[in-house]
Amino acid sequence: MNYFPDEVVEHVFDFVTSHKDRNAISLVCKSWYKIERYSRQKVFIGNCYATNPERLLRRFPCLKSLTLKGKPHFADFNLVPHEWGGFVLPWIEALARSRVGLEELRLKRMVVTDESLELLSRSFVNFKSLVLVSCEGFTTDGLASIAANCRHLRDLDLQENEIDDHRGQWLSCFPDTCTTLVTLNFACLEGETNLVALERLVARSPNLKSLKLNRAVPLDALARLMSCAPQMVDLGVGSYENDPDSESYLKLQAAIKKCTLLRSLSGFLEAAPHCLSAFHPICHNLTSLNLSYAAEIHGSHLIKLIQHCKKLQRLWILDSIGDKGLEVVASTCKELQELRVFPSDLLGGGNTAVTEEGLVAISAGCPKLHSILYFCQQMTNAALVTVAKNCPNFIRFRLCILEPNKPDHVTSQPLDEGFGAIVKACKSLRRLSLSGLLTDQVFLYIGMYANQLEMLSIAFAGDTDKGMLYVLNGCKKMKKLEIRDSPFGDTALLADVSKYETMRSLWMSSCEVTLSGCKGLAEKAPWLNVEIINETDNNRMEENGHEGRQKVDKLYLYRTVVGTRMDAPPFVWIL
Amino acid sequence: MEKEGLGLEITELRLGLPGRDVAEKMMKKRAFTEMIMTSSGSSSDQCESGVVSSGGDVEKVNDSPAAKSQVVGWPPVCSYRRKNSCKDASTTKVGLGYVKVSMDGVPYLRKMDLGSSQGYDDLAFALDKLFGIRGIGVAFKDGDNCEYVTIYEDKDGDWMLAGDVPWGMFIESCKRLRIMKRSDATGFGLQPRGVDE
Repeated sequence: MNYFPDEVVEHVFDFVTSHKDRNAISLVCKSWYKIERYSRQKVFIGNCYATNPERLLRRFPCLKSLTLKGKPHFADFNLVPHEWGGFVLPWIEALARSRVGLEELRLKRMVVTDESLELLSRSFVNFKSLVLVSCEGFTTDGLASIAANCRHLRDLDLQENEIDDHRGQWLSCFPDTCTTLVTLNFACLEGETNLVALERLVARSPNLKSLKLNRAVPLDALARLMSCAPQMVDLGVGSYENDPDSESYLKLQAAIKKCTLLRSLSGFLEAAPHCLSAFHPICHNLTSLNLSYAAEIHGSHLIKLIQHCKKLQRLWILDSIGDKGLEVVASTCKELQELRVFPSDLLGGGNTAVTEEGLVAISAGCPKLHSILYFCQQMTNAALVTVAKNCPNFIRFRLCILEPNKPDHVTSQPLDEGFGAIVKACKSLRRLSLSGLLTDQVFLYIGMYANQLEMLSIAFAGDTDKGMLYVLNGCKKMKKLEIRDSPFGDTALLADVSKYETMRSLWMSSCEVTLSGCKGLAEKAPWLNVEIINETDNNRMEENGHEGRQKVDKLYLYRTVVGTRMDAPPFVWIL
Repeated sequence: MEKEGLGLEITELRLGLPGRDVAEKMMKKRAFTEMIMTSSGSSSDQCESGVVSSGGDVEKVNDSPAAKSQVVGWPPVCSYRRKNSCKDASTTKVGLGYVKVSMDGVPYLRKMDLGSSQGYDDLAFALDKLFGIRGIGVAFKDGDNCEYVTIYEDKDGDWMLAGDVPWGMFIESCKRLRIMKRSDATGFGLQPRGVDE
């Protein structure tokens, strides 16, 4: 029932910004659906193959901001071949043709080419914001087009992309008239940077709040940059090696003191740790600190820095901090909400790695903690039970014990009870990653208690299909399930086909599912794309016979309204 | 033991504790790509990990003595982060001479100037001095007598045994050094010079 004119309803809808809520609104009635779709400005598409540009534009003709995600999450760990898909060009081409007033494009795990970037830069007069996360396929030439052609560019945010650095002059492609930059993040570029062009750009960008430099920006350049940007809020330091008595270091110290708005610090890709004290004066204001790429900062220098950061809400660190270091964090950072501890040594001994003690200390000292990613050497059920008791508010809990299948190191038991305690206590848990020795029991707990769970990552866990079934049957809100190296097979896969309609995607690699199982699934669910990814010849898989009993190496299935995609490479077999 | 035409010499090892069926199932399915070594730890509790790769895809993993047991995509650290944590900044100019030196068991790294050494003997002496431990450099002279093995990362990102190539070639290509315990490198045919594998 609608007593108000459409404009009024639309005005009310303007206050509703989350995607979930707007999606819900559109389902209330036809009239609300219509009003909502014309007023929707930000659209989020979690799987670029679930729909296509034409449908997007038909439904949301007034869109200004688009977020697209491409490859499955496990592509981050080299489990998905590079040419799998996730190409953004068709999207940009369609958007360009439709003359929609695109202002913002955010992409994650997609293949972006220089051609796409060039087209993007030329097609949308009001384009303001480009955020690329974990993308690949482009070079600094593409960045040059963006710099040169986007007159009102506000954000150029490149996070952890693989960019071919042609060492060109992309920074000098920003015209002198460009003064609107708010975010400039090029930390992931490998090559040399034109420091003069960079300094000029920063000097003429009074609104610049976030600046993240790459390795090639040395300390003296940093000093000059910070001197002309005291309004900085978010700084990523590039190279930080210098003689602490030199003039540029003194200049840096002076410049840092003036940056009273600085709240977030990252980078230190190369660092002379004793120079960190230059940042101590502003540490008490910091809410976010990312030292996860700063391999050279550890020990007492790191501890001293952290001791100054009493207001920290987000900390990303390497495990070289050790349990003792985490105890310092626990006693200093009482506002901590998110902690990520990454492994520092992926090749060698890991002697300074963290254990369950560090995790327990953090849980005891930081009552506001809600998100954690923790790579560690060992864990115990007792520790996890304690953590669950201390922190029942976890939204994201991702634990990675470095050695697959490792049991509780004290009792040699599986870690079922520990993770069980976590899911039982943390009623708002939305994301969970498991590791260590785990049986079907842990999945029983997850199915029983993890009512809000949307994303679950499983590796080297479980005993039988029952494990996977507990999860599929129990977790009503499951969206993304990714499983590797676990003994789940066709029985679990096929038990409830309709479940996959409520999920975004399922990934299973090195499990027990067979070709005939997958074929059966594809037949029962034509609204699913069932992809078999096989680096070996797919034809051989067919010919080898065994009546489809051979195991499928990688299975990726997802719901879609547009059927089989046309851009799949030869090694992807869509059933 | 060989596996289906990969043509690589491998050693079969199991994932997890003895008796784990899952590990055995996984062993049967997959091809092994490289030799691995046991992690340094108590000898009675041998934590062995299997090396797995899917299908015919051979992950380009370091197949030198330095590579610890590696399962494809494990630990789940994104490839960007892997590249940036493992390497020692490609912009570090080798000609400058200063390279990072790490030693197993020591929680901090050192930096030393290769250019200040005249040859492997000098390097041996300098390394001994750096970590206050005698016998690091003995390996260059006398293959199997000492407790440590010195390896270095070359321009291609591969880990090489120090001492094989002429000194001049070595300092041109050495990007960083690592001193590891000989016991961690068992099974890699580190014979005294002159003995064939």
